[in-house]
Amino acid sequence: MKITNLKLQNFRNHEETVVEWAPHMNVIVGQNGAGKTNLIDAIHYLCMSRSFVSSSDMYVVNQDATFFMIKGHFEGNIRASFDVGCSYSRGEGKKIFVNESPLDRLSDLIGMVPVVVLSPSDKKLTSEGPKQRRSFIDSFISQISPAYLQDLLDFRKARKQRNKLLQEFRGNREVLLAYLEPWNVQLMEYGSRIVAKRTEVLNKFRDYLAKEYEVISGMRHEPHLEYQTFCEPSEDEETVRERYQAELEKEQDHELERELTLIGPHRDEIVFYLDDFELRKYGSQGQHRLFALALKLAQLLYFSDELDDLPIFLLDDVFGDLDAQRTEVLLNALIEHAGQTFVTAANPIPFDEYITFDGERNRKYKVDQGQISVVKTK
Amino acid sequence: MEGTSEILEQAIEQLAKLPGTGRKSARRIALFLLKQNDESVIKLAEALISLKKSITRCSTCGVISDGDPCSICQNTKRQTGQICVVEESQDVFLIEKTNEFRGRYHVLGGVISPLDNIGPDDVRIKQLMQRINEDDEQIDEVILALNPDSEGEATSYYINKLLKPFDDVEVTRIAYGIPMGTELEFIDEATLGRAFASRNTF
Ligand SMILES: [Zn+2]
Repeated sequence: MKITNLKLQNFRNHEETVVEWAPHMNVIVGQNGAGKTNLIDAIHYLCMSRSFVSSSDMYVVNQDATFFMIKGHFEGNIRASFDVGCSYSRGEGKKIFVNESPLDRLSDLIGMVPVVVLSPSDKKLTSEGPKQRRSFIDSFISQISPAYLQDLLDFRKARKQRNKLLQEFRGNREVLLAYLEPWNVQLMEYGSRIVAKRTEVLNKFRDYLAKEYEVISGMRHEPHLEYQTFCEPSEDEETVRERYQAELEKEQDHELERELTLIGPHRDEIVFYLDDFELRKYGSQGQHRLFALALKLAQLLYFSDELDDLPIFLLDDVFGDLDAQRTEVLLNALIEHAGQTFVTAANPIPFDEYITFDGERNRKYKVDQGQISVVKTK
Repeated sequence: MEGTSEILEQAIEQLAKLPGTGRKSARRIALFLLKQNDESVIKLAEALISLKKSITRCSTCGVISDGDPCSICQNTKRQTGQICVVEESQDVFLIEKTNEFRGRYHVLGGVISPLDNIGPDDVRIKQLMQRINEDDEQIDEVILALNPDSEGEATSYYINKLLKPFDDVEVTRIAYGIPMGTELEFIDEATLGRAFASRNTF
């Protein structure tokens, strides 16, 4: 999948910006604060309906404006050509349009344009709490399976309904249990499918991760990942459901006492290891960085193998941190990726050495105070 | 303010409360009504008053109706053995249009949703159980026709559970399907997935 052009209005420091993109490599160079990350964040909006930088749409609107608008034209294999738009205003909230018609739900956008992002905040993936890893795997699988995303949304709904009963129901225990039952059924149905799907994808993902970590680190350590859920992970939904039911029954008193849903994929953890030490506890800064890099490259390759359309790869300001050897490895991976890539950087030096900016297949851009221009090459 | 009419402004204010009507269209409606003859405006006003005053709910099935019991519950030609459970009165009107169902209805007036503080006692589930327990309606099938969202599903599950002890009452539900005249590629995955799961023998 490729984005051929992008139009921005009041998107952070881009008051009015129009860019035509190259089909392979797009390197965007500029000082910090010039607005280069905003350009690829806008592309991310058109893929995932949200920013990869800020948690709230409100902060994305230009200071002097009350709304922002992003429009992009895409070309791919499954859908030959289509437009995606995203508008946000304080009054109306966020809306996504595909070929000018609004989507009923923002989530319907996910998976239409697969995307992989590499950014400095990736180090949180391995160093912070389990929520980071759950949201990594959820956004990963949602892009390859719309049914999984629907299960996540339905599971969250059932869990909220159930939690509300656990927290606020005042009355006889038997009545509460009868009221909980319809939600238990939904919790188990969606939850079991989520666990089975996570197991299946992570089982396949392991090999990709091992391979990419070896390429990026030079094989000093062997990476492992362990998926932890309320039972022995299984790709079989029925097996998981039986275990789910048993655990719910076992934890019933505990749940009534804590007034919370305690069993389910919302409490899953993915533990990363290098050889046999746990990365989160014992990893060095450098190891975290390399592991995150390997995770994202593995995701890129997984998507490229599984999906009919190649993902768009966004790299935000990651080259500054890498030594010469890693820079070379990563650049080679980008050159090999047949899909479209966007790179932002403060320093253009390493790219000129490896990439031929012919202005057709590969293009270099300069961004200054929200203004973008193509850098002419000889 | 001079040059405006207090009475006109009041009418506009009331009209603007109607769904889909902004102040601008409310003003246009008010001015339109002023131009009409007395009789037609009075007819409209009377229709509105009787809509609120005379319309009632059928005490048996809960549907909005002119009288109690409603015309469906009164109709002796309809089968008494089947009850179709729906969320709102408008669902009854929709199913009636299909001419496929000749039994009677039960309008719940909502679905279970703890997040909205709606429990089983806040919808007409007890009344449904009463109808099934009473002897004058001999019920042998309860058809659940609630929306396929999580609240509708939970409500269907709850009712089905309550009906389990009644051996001579069969509980069925309407099938999930694909809208007529719709091509597969335009159907969202969730609908298609459900239609698949509830497929039947050809
Ligand atoms: Zn009736």
